[in-house]
Amino acid sequence: MRSIIYYVREFLRPEWLKKFFFAKTAPLATPSYFKDYPSLTEKECTGCFACMMICPAPGGIVVLAKKDEWVPTVYPGHCIRCGLCVEACPEGVLTSGRILDVTRRDKTAFSSWYRLEVEDALCMRCGNCCVSCPVNRQVDPQLAGTGTSSSDEVIMRIEGGRVRILHEEKCTGCKTCEINCPNSAIRVARMVEGVQGEEAEA
Amino acid sequence: MKKTVDVSIPLGPVHPCWKEPVRLKCETAGERVLRVEVELGYMKKGIERIMRGRPWQEVMFLAERVCGICSVIHNMVFIETMEEISDIAVPPRAAYLRVIVNELDRIASHILANFSYCYTIEHETLAMYLLNTREIVLDNLERITGSRVNTAYMIPGGVRFDLLPEDAVTVLADLDKVEEEMRRHTRIFETGPLIALRSKGIGVMDREEAIRSHTVGPTARASGVPDSDLRLRHPTYQALGFEQITRTEGDNFARIMVRFQEIFQSIDLIRKCVTTLPDGPIRGGGLCRAGEGSHSGEAPRGELTYTIKTDEYGRVLDIAIRTPSIMNIEACAHAMIADAASIADVTSTFISSDPCVACNER
Repeated sequence: MRSIIYYVREFLRPEWLKKFFFAKTAPLATPSYFKDYPSLTEKECTGCFACMMICPAPGGIVVLAKKDEWVPTVYPGHCIRCGLCVEACPEGVLTSGRILDVTRRDKTAFSSWYRLEVEDALCMRCGNCCVSCPVNRQVDPQLAGTGTSSSDEVIMRIEGGRVRILHEEKCTGCKTCEINCPNSAIRVARMVEGVQGEEAEA
Repeated sequence: MKKTVDVSIPLGPVHPCWKEPVRLKCETAGERVLRVEVELGYMKKGIERIMRGRPWQEVMFLAERVCGICSVIHNMVFIETMEEISDIAVPPRAAYLRVIVNELDRIASHILANFSYCYTIEHETLAMYLLNTREIVLDNLERITGSRVNTAYMIPGGVRFDLLPEDAVTVLADLDKVEEEMRRHTRIFETGPLIALRSKGIGVMDREEAIRSHTVGPTARASGVPDSDLRLRHPTYQALGFEQITRTEGDNFARIMVRFQEIFQSIDLIRKCVTTLPDGPIRGGGLCRAGEGSHSGEAPRGELTYTIKTDEYGRVLDIAIRTPSIMNIEACAHAMIADAASIADVTSTFISSDPCVACNER
């Protein structure tokens, strides 16, 4: 009996009934600082591939060539929303949450270097790496077949029966050579350093 | 021959009390549980194999995904190991920011552990209260890092984002709210007579047994193992005047109470960090180099060790992760649950040691 009185007294209050029938939870809103999938800003992409090269998820972001412009495309099924591409882009083409504002304010950035190494014991001098390299093709369109080249400006060429790396600094880290190597002899190392201040601006 | 085992009762691999798949085989005589055997291996991911040959910016994200509940400490220990190998110094502001994010993650993890214990002993009201409070903590993690769980906040030589001054104010205000709510929840847990019946004096592991079975983390601290918190040896925590919390009972109640006490301790640590945050850069730079090294940190469940070998370009050649739960699960099966009074105590005792199967099997 006492408990019935308690419940009647507890739940027949006007404010409780009002709350029961008309209470609304706040609508679910995505906060402005949430790192969502990167989206494009108005800035023009220069096709430096910095976003693709730093992406930790395979196929998370791909820079596609469309007519006469580059379009970075994010694949939501692959993207893990880490936001590294937004920080790595030197032009500010991508944006996600407030990463772009914060990195501009603190002058933080990632700088990358790409290193090539060829293991001689595995290399069979087929020249696939030299032929497939997109930078090589741009520098010397004649380069084909055996991987030899008359140009001194290519990244690598077959010289005296073995791969010789001439200009490591031109490498964009795309790993096309690594994919096309039948013996996994050539490997590209992507080195990344998080920097801040004057270093980052340079 | 006298038959001592009546029935062998399997608990799991799919069980409403387990968060992750694990099987406990309980040998029973009547209601009494004589022995318990743990069977792991239902969710091997092979994550250490995937890590090999990759640079830090890829391994960092894999390391976080070893464990979903304590992802920040995996990130932190991995990055600190790489820093130790390559002699990279961390700016003081970044070191403090790391502590803030790590302690927020520890609070979230401890609340979740206590939630599952309350849920296991069927005190669902308190369990849901705890989850509600955890939401505030996760919101603050998101405010600082941009995501709730896999934060990817620390990089070699610093952190990714600075703590904005307006965010610092919100974090402090939210921490007050969390502390107030946690005081209430702790009082409910501490004074509840039915909770005491299910928790006090159940699953007791004394100090000698805890040391002998190499327990780590809150499980060891609840049994009174001294000097078992690796934060005592971390330079930033030393600067903040960190002291270990120890209880002596060694039962389920003590293990949960140690976590409640550590939540308040973490709140104090974050407050101290936010108010005494030094100015300066948040990234010092530095490239990862060749070397071999091992580093340990205090995860919410205990000692977490990364042993890494890198090549000259900072790629991970070999990596071994030792996670805390494996010791605690074995100690739980051999010392705490042995000769338990009923099957119901097996589930609650197992959950009170906060087993993380995802960490164990990687």
